[in-house]
Amino acid sequence: MRILIIGAGVSGLFIAYELLKRGLKEVLVLDAKTPGYGASLRNIGCFRSSFTSREHVLLMKESIAKWLEIKRDWGVFIEQRGYLWIARREDTLDVFRELAKFHNSHGVPTRVIGVDELSSREPYINTSIVKGALFDPTAGKMSVIEVFTELYIRVKKMGGIIIPHTPVERLVSSGGIVKSALTPRGEYAADVFVVAAAEGSRKILESIGVNAPIEPSPRHPLVTEPYAEVIKSGLVIDWDTPGSPHITQTQHGSIILARDIKDEPWTPLNSQRHDAFEKIIKPLSELYPFLRNVNVNRYWMGYYDMTPDHHPIYGPVKPFENLYIAAGFSGHGLMMAPITGVLIADWILHGRPRISVAENLVLERFETGRLVKEIAVVG
Amino acid sequence: MGGEEVGVEKATIICRCNDVTLEDINKAIEAGIDDFELLRKYLKIGFGPCQGRGCLLIAARIFARRMSKSLGDVLVNYSVRPPITPIPAKYFTTVSLAFQGGEEVSRGGKS
Ligand SMILES: Cc1cc2nc3c(=O)[nH]c(=O)nc-3n(C[C@H](O)[C@H](O)[C@H](O)COP(=O)(O)OP(=O)(O)OC[C@H]3O[C@@H](n4cnc5c(N)ncnc54)[C@H](O)[C@@H]3O)c2cc1C
Repeated sequence: MRILIIGAGVSGLFIAYELLKRGLKEVLVLDAKTPGYGASLRNIGCFRSSFTSREHVLLMKESIAKWLEIKRDWGVFIEQRGYLWIARREDTLDVFRELAKFHNSHGVPTRVIGVDELSSREPYINTSIVKGALFDPTAGKMSVIEVFTELYIRVKKMGGIIIPHTPVERLVSSGGIVKSALTPRGEYAADVFVVAAAEGSRKILESIGVNAPIEPSPRHPLVTEPYAEVIKSGLVIDWDTPGSPHITQTQHGSIILARDIKDEPWTPLNSQRHDAFEKIIKPLSELYPFLRNVNVNRYWMGYYDMTPDHHPIYGPVKPFENLYIAAGFSGHGLMMAPITGVLIADWILHGRPRISVAENLVLERFETGRLVKEIAVVG
Repeated sequence: MGGEEVGVEKATIICRCNDVTLEDINKAIEAGIDDFELLRKYLKIGFGPCQGRGCLLIAARIFARRMSKSLGDVLVNYSVRPPITPIPAKYFTTVSLAFQGGEEVSRGGKS
């Protein structure tokens, strides 16, 4: 059986990895650019299972378990340092208590902490402006580039073929079966097709009359020069400031600062904004006064590939018998990627995923109106 | 002779900001990294304050030669990112520019 995966991001490569691990021999991955050119090498490397939908919580829990296996087997930097959602207002703590109840009922051990515990976890935080935090001890951060590179090398060593600079322009189908993918460098035939091309998936599927409602929303992270460890947690999020400014520090020591700044979907990735610096740095420097003394080294853009209900689109694409999708991760595709690989491989080889809530995330939900809700998008 | 060569590779610094040597580049290629953008990011070449001005072309040439590719092919997906030199964050913590911190501003249209 020959499988063609479109998109060599972390989703496409984990799907390839899982299929190769299960003994498939012919796995091809095409990418319009180079591996990781999309969001997979533009993200900030954090993970958590403390979401607000059952689907996200259950899938992320399994995914984190997979990440911990990967940490052990590959020897890469993946650490459960915890997430802190900071409350600047007293009444926010009530919201946090509600969220913790929901998480706890699904086995995610989040809890509300006071200023003392907060300052022992984050010694450089300005305690005079905070009231407490929601703490998720199972969340954390990883070295994205190291993990992605290791994945890429492993897929190749296992016999996967990754072909860069080969954009799929359209699919060719007949009688409910996809036959091939057309690219400027030729036609690729296969038995099974998987579209894992983030926002690019939309155009690919349109070519065979399928609507995948994915819109790329630009994000704007800044990164500083490397410093000694000052941010201990996986991610710290300023919940009470619009756009949830957030901050993390890489293993290398660079501090990453970001915030959800309103921007038009599909804005090209070379449209950096002069106002981003002030918008991002100002609220975070209130939380961490030492930020006044750091240097910002670089600013890049990347897309969150958003769906209407902020959940990914998984599984078979009807009415086609041999077509699958894994896209629209709405800002959380890195943390989900290992479980994405497992689920899509299950669907291809056994007709259904091992975790049944994944079936709620099929493409038809946008037609039947059975949407899933998630309110905590950032981080 | 062989031993001497290893010494030279180890002593040849390509990226001064992040202390990346010729040996690091050769090892990464041997490990299977056959894409320059991936190799560059993996080794953090051009991630330092020089933004690649000192090291990028040297690293790209070494990679192109090793992989028998043209320099143009190797650099096809490289993009320069602002700021050109590191900016002190303090400039954005006190003065207020045209936009206020909490207010969300969106730009019209695509370009
Ligand atoms: C600033 C930022 C921060 C983020 N932080 C986090 C985080 O902390 N944790 C987390 O889990 N997630 C985070 N994300 C989201 C995460 O990066 C993505 O969800 C994830 O990388 C998606 O992976 P992917 O493989 O599905 O898509 P991508 O990595 O975008 O890969 C899609 C690939 O498809 C290719 N492609 C597109 N069209 C075609 C075509 N027609 N033919 C062939 N190939 C095509 C592209 O070139 C691309 O390489 C963040 C994203 C951004 C932008």
